[in-house]
Amino acid sequence: MIDIQNLCRHFGRVEAVRDLTLHVPKGEIFCFLGPNGAGKTTTMKILTGLLRPSSGTATIAGMDVRKSPIQVKQLIGYIPDMPFMYDRLTATEFLQFTGDLYNLPRDRVISESERMLSLFDLLEYRASLVKDLSHGMRQRLIYCATFLHDPQVLFIDEPLIGLDPYSIRLIKDLLKAKARGGMTIFLTTHILSLAEDVADRIGIILNGKLVALGTLAGLLEKNPGVGRLEDLFLKLTAKYGGTPDVGGPGTC
Amino acid sequence: MSVALALARKSVHHMVNGGRIMRQQSSFKLGFVLCFAVGFEAGLWMLFLDGFRFLDSLGGAGAMIALRLFSLFFFGMGLMLILSSIVTSYATVFRSREIPFLIVRPFEIRHIVLYKFAESTALSSWAFFFIIIPFVGSYAWYRHVSVVFVLWTFFFSLPFLVLCSGLGTLLTILVVRWLPSARVARVGLTVLGVVALAAFWWFSRDIYRPDDELQFNLTRLVPGLAMASNALVPSWWVSEGILSLSRGQWLRGVMLWGTVTSTAVVMVMLLESIGSRVFYEGWQRATGTTGRDTHARILFRRLENALVAWMPSDVRALIFKDIRTFLRDPMQWSQALIFFGLLALYYANLRSFHYHLLPETWRNTVAFLNVFSVAAVMCSLGSRFIYPQLSLEGQGFWIIGLSPTSMTKVLLTKFALPLMAMLIISVLLMLLSSSMLSASPLTKIVAVTLACSISFAVCSLSTGLGAIFLNLEQRNPAAIVSGFGGTLNLVLSLGFMLLVILPFGFAFHLHNAGRISVGQFRHALLIAGIWMTFVTLMTTWIPLWVGARSLRSREF
Repeated sequence: MIDIQNLCRHFGRVEAVRDLTLHVPKGEIFCFLGPNGAGKTTTMKILTGLLRPSSGTATIAGMDVRKSPIQVKQLIGYIPDMPFMYDRLTATEFLQFTGDLYNLPRDRVISESERMLSLFDLLEYRASLVKDLSHGMRQRLIYCATFLHDPQVLFIDEPLIGLDPYSIRLIKDLLKAKARGGMTIFLTTHILSLAEDVADRIGIILNGKLVALGTLAGLLEKNPGVGRLEDLFLKLTAKYGGTPDVGGPGTC
Repeated sequence: MSVALALARKSVHHMVNGGRIMRQQSSFKLGFVLCFAVGFEAGLWMLFLDGFRFLDSLGGAGAMIALRLFSLFFFGMGLMLILSSIVTSYATVFRSREIPFLIVRPFEIRHIVLYKFAESTALSSWAFFFIIIPFVGSYAWYRHVSVVFVLWTFFFSLPFLVLCSGLGTLLTILVVRWLPSARVARVGLTVLGVVALAAFWWFSRDIYRPDDELQFNLTRLVPGLAMASNALVPSWWVSEGILSLSRGQWLRGVMLWGTVTSTAVVMVMLLESIGSRVFYEGWQRATGTTGRDTHARILFRRLENALVAWMPSDVRALIFKDIRTFLRDPMQWSQALIFFGLLALYYANLRSFHYHLLPETWRNTVAFLNVFSVAAVMCSLGSRFIYPQLSLEGQGFWIIGLSPTSMTKVLLTKFALPLMAMLIISVLLMLLSSSMLSASPLTKIVAVTLACSISFAVCSLSTGLGAIFLNLEQRNPAAIVSGFGGTLNLVLSLGFMLLVILPFGFAFHLHNAGRISVGQFRHALLIAGIWMTFVTLMTTWIPLWVGARSLRSREF
């Protein structure tokens, strides 16, 4: 579903993504891990059309993201880590606007909005302005808006920011259910337990290069002596010298 | 549903909800802003009406100027619209957080460009209508022309607005796309400079051939009149078209309207075509630039360090942050550049008049009018750049709020830094303009003293009211300025300006008219000076005191 071939992206002299090749099949939850500044968000932004690659290609459902941007965008959904929302629209108006942008029939927008708002426990806030919603509610509303057009491929940058335990569980279950229904999910996170819980495959990126790729079990098997994803992550991202050294008592 | 309809529906919802939020605000605030707007319109109306009457009293030359004033007015408004559109479109097209949201949606870049152009046109046009209504209204009133005249103005204004705003947006898109490349910037700026000079020369030529000597002298005396009366300039089509329709010359009027409208349509098509090609690259450049340490930057940092080395470290940190934030925000410094560019135009025009030929009384009157102008510039400088500085700290204000620096110190730093800049700017401007107007030494001394007094008061009012009406949610400085606090600040600054200038102005006027003796004149100046000192001290102290109290009691 997602095909990345020799993808590179430079920012001046900085190489954010270096020769990345990756394939994510339909219905898979792919979790992209890496330390801060490793190139995760840059990769995701290239796949969603927010950035152009310096070289290489990225295709979604066989369509090049650069050559057929409109068709690709019709298929995808994207939730950035700090999503923009229209503060002066109500929750319902925001969902209607999003539906209109994807040319969804009005009755479908209305019924899906109701269903989504109910699922994310936002029904009583449907007439509230976005600016009056709490951070967690806004986050839930952006999920409602993203699922509205039923995307075939979903990109999520840090999916659990600002969510309460109930919503976290809801999102995890929803992602798994959607993947079972054929949705391809590409997510980046620093919460390793989320990757352990939901990911079919995990990719670890360091300084723009993919340093590990496989299922959790496969990765642990390839690295004997490592019992958990956290240890594996710290070992592979050797910049941190395996485990962080916080010094002895009284040093911090 | 088409993209245009979806975006239009969203904008309507936005406006309706905005109105709802406004209605929930204090009715005093709303009433105050409304009263100010109506009062301002009425004031402008009377000012324009008096201007037309004054021109009439001059006889032949006055009537001629009144007629030409129309083309000059639209020419000036056109330039203002282009500049305003450049500033607004940078914020709406490239800085808006809405852009990434729209880019990942399934529609073409040209739709985003056109939508953002419409938004930028709407934002930059309100001031145009705010000024044009009293001007055209007072002209129609003065000339006893029917109300339909105002309607014709509106018909002509719409395509003219689209044309000017389109040009401004197009220029912004091209500049943002190409300017970050140093080589392109050098070549581009050189070409632009040459083209601007050539255009200036071309339009300033005597293509416009006046019929008689009076008209000829008029074009030589009033700067820009020849350019504004050039038949190739769109503003001339507008002014001529409106006048033609009001005279009943239908064919000529409709033809000119067609010319403006078709040019506006071509401009939109150009914007759509070029914008869809270069917008994306420009947006990437505008959002993804990374800085490198150049020799100039290192030198600037050393200079900065040397200048503020004697200050406490927390004050130094605040000053460094403010200077850097300002210089790294293109929205701020580009507006400052345009502001000072307009000021340069004003000074260029001052130079064109032959003041030394005027009698002493007139010279002093013009000199005091100039003091008013420079003071008004200082007031708007304070309102636009000093008032929003605390609010622009935004969501990051908690960092300062949590630091062991007192809020009074923060406020005083925010007051002192712009005060330094304002004092230098205002004194230089006053000295320069007074010298250009061949004002007497005493007038120059008074003008400079007034500049210092107004600098203190404007900086204090803007900083104090900025603290009282702190708005940490808003990121757009223009929106912060146009709120209740910003309006109040402008009104109070202008009020202060009148309070301190008028006593001196009256003293000079009575003296020059020979209605008071030299001794009485000295006494009048002394009283005006004492009054100015008292009002300045109070206006500097009270807003800072109240502002500091407000900041100290604030929760972050």
